[in-house]
Amino acid sequence: MELTKEKLLGFYETMMTIRAFESKAVALFAENKLPGFVHLYLGEEAVATGVCANLGTKDYITSTHRGHGHLIAKGGKVDLMMAELFGKATGYCKGKGGSMHIADVDLGILGANGIVGAGLPIAVGAAFASKYRKSDAVAVCFFGDAASNRGTFHESLNMASIWNLPVVFVCENNMYGISLCQRDHMNICDISDRASSYGIPGITVDGNDVIAVFEAASEAIKRARRGDGPSLIECKTWRQRGHFEGDPAIYKDPAEQQSWLEKDPLPRLAKRLIELKYATQTELDQIQASAAEQIEAAVKYAESSPLPALTDVLTDVYAG
Amino acid sequence: MALVGIIANPASGKDIRRLVAYGAVFDNLEKVNIVRRVLLSLASTGIREVVFMPDYYGIVPKAAEGISEKHRLQMEVSPADICITGTQRDTLQASLLMASLGVDCIITLGGDGTNRLVAKGCGTIPILPISTGTNNVFSVMVEGTIAGLAGGVVAKGTVSGFPAVQPSKRLIVYKNGEAIDSALIDVVILKDEFIGSRAVWDVERIVQVLVTQGEPHNIGISSIAGNLQPVSAQENCGLTIDFASNGTLVRAPIAPGLIEVVQVNSYRRIMIGERVAIREAPCVIALDGEREIEVQEKDNVFVQLAFDGPQVVNIRSALHEAVGKGYSRLPPAE
Repeated sequence: MELTKEKLLGFYETMMTIRAFESKAVALFAENKLPGFVHLYLGEEAVATGVCANLGTKDYITSTHRGHGHLIAKGGKVDLMMAELFGKATGYCKGKGGSMHIADVDLGILGANGIVGAGLPIAVGAAFASKYRKSDAVAVCFFGDAASNRGTFHESLNMASIWNLPVVFVCENNMYGISLCQRDHMNICDISDRASSYGIPGITVDGNDVIAVFEAASEAIKRARRGDGPSLIECKTWRQRGHFEGDPAIYKDPAEQQSWLEKDPLPRLAKRLIELKYATQTELDQIQASAAEQIEAAVKYAESSPLPALTDVLTDVYAG
Repeated sequence: MALVGIIANPASGKDIRRLVAYGAVFDNLEKVNIVRRVLLSLASTGIREVVFMPDYYGIVPKAAEGISEKHRLQMEVSPADICITGTQRDTLQASLLMASLGVDCIITLGGDGTNRLVAKGCGTIPILPISTGTNNVFSVMVEGTIAGLAGGVVAKGTVSGFPAVQPSKRLIVYKNGEAIDSALIDVVILKDEFIGSRAVWDVERIVQVLVTQGEPHNIGISSIAGNLQPVSAQENCGLTIDFASNGTLVRAPIAPGLIEVVQVNSYRRIMIGERVAIREAPCVIALDGEREIEVQEKDNVFVQLAFDGPQVVNIRSALHEAVGKGYSRLPPAE
């Protein structure tokens, strides 16, 4: 697959922006500046980046409780995201949704989701709409390993298959469902095995290699766009933090954590970009500095934004 | 007492060719079923001890556990003492350990890539390769029951030597003067810069191919050789092919359901011991169907053909010879 310098540095920039956003969220949460829970995407940046690099604005994604990376990779605005994490009126959900409900329909981001496995049927609905309207838009559904145990997974893959819908199911297998190791919550190790039950292709790729993810997603999305139906991509990856910020992750083997840190997707890509002379270390440092600046500006925007007015407490909510 | 090794790769049969071609997902449950049949056949030939590569799915233990009481194995089935990493390293470590234990035959489940790793560790121990991968030339599609019988007669010493057990060739890759890896079937030079999703399917990216064997009935990149100038597994030569636009058009089945037309500039036989230089850098080198080696502009790389690959069980010949020796006839009941 031909990859241009622009494309490759674009991968690095997106991954670095996600890394900067999430690293800042770690610090802000520790400083008690964020009013809600955050589930961070540190270590999984290559998945969202590699997949979303194949999508346009007209395409859809559904996300998870660990959604910041997906949103940024799909073009979400980091200042509005950060304001939402702060619970401010300028945030994506006017400060009432928090991390797990961020959406931007204009960008095809159909929402993060606090319910495990809830994005699957939404993506299938979006794909059905695309097919019904004779659009060539594709829906991509991100979900985790444990979500593939839920009934929504079965119903969604079955329906997508029988209707031959343009949807790509991207399982981010980070090996743990909250604190439960994968081997303790399912009796298989490759979630791609489940695809054959629905008569669709399923593959497994190295989710910490942005090029591998990009290639796989490129083929799956092209396939869906030309009307050849759904597929399942399992990306083996690792969340470097606990399930949520504040979770000490004592259930993880330190040696396993260390071995995955050595496969961190960002240094891996950086090393190869330098080897192939696509970038110098100085250029990569500049990208990192620029990402950090962007996130600092987002924090300033969030901090200087107002809280929702008391008079709006019943606006945009179902209760009342 | 005869000892058989089993190396079943839990990761084979799941790569991107399920999207870009028509390869089927080879799930691990089917590998469990195959191993179960292998174990039952091994037991019937009198094998009482099996050592296996442990894996994160537990293919062999699940296979042994699922055997009914009626067919209960009179056999000890033990894991090789290796640390599971879930990577290619496990296969190599298991193969090395089995060699040190002196197993009499290693039965593998995987593709050509799996056997490439086994071959790096097994020395002169015969391999019986069962195909559970995608593009397989080295490993063969065979019913597990039959594979188990053949593995059993080889391990027990009922049959030995040619043609039951046959030598094989390999291609050794040298980078900057050092042998860094080898392939059993093909070495493919791609005008790529990243290993990425590993598999090879885009023929536009191929600049050079070397094969140990390639016949028209093969599938995969080596089938290009098979459709140009076939080379069999036992011939004292291989083939090198250079690709270029405006070359001769050749049609070949390079992946399941994917019959592609490639443009061949030139091709010629290469002899045992001959070295062929890689003519493009930077590039990526695929070994037995998987992108493995990233080559930089400054690197000096060449490939050498050798006839020192692993010993391979020929199932048909092994069982024919064993029948000739009466292995299937039992003394009359008293």
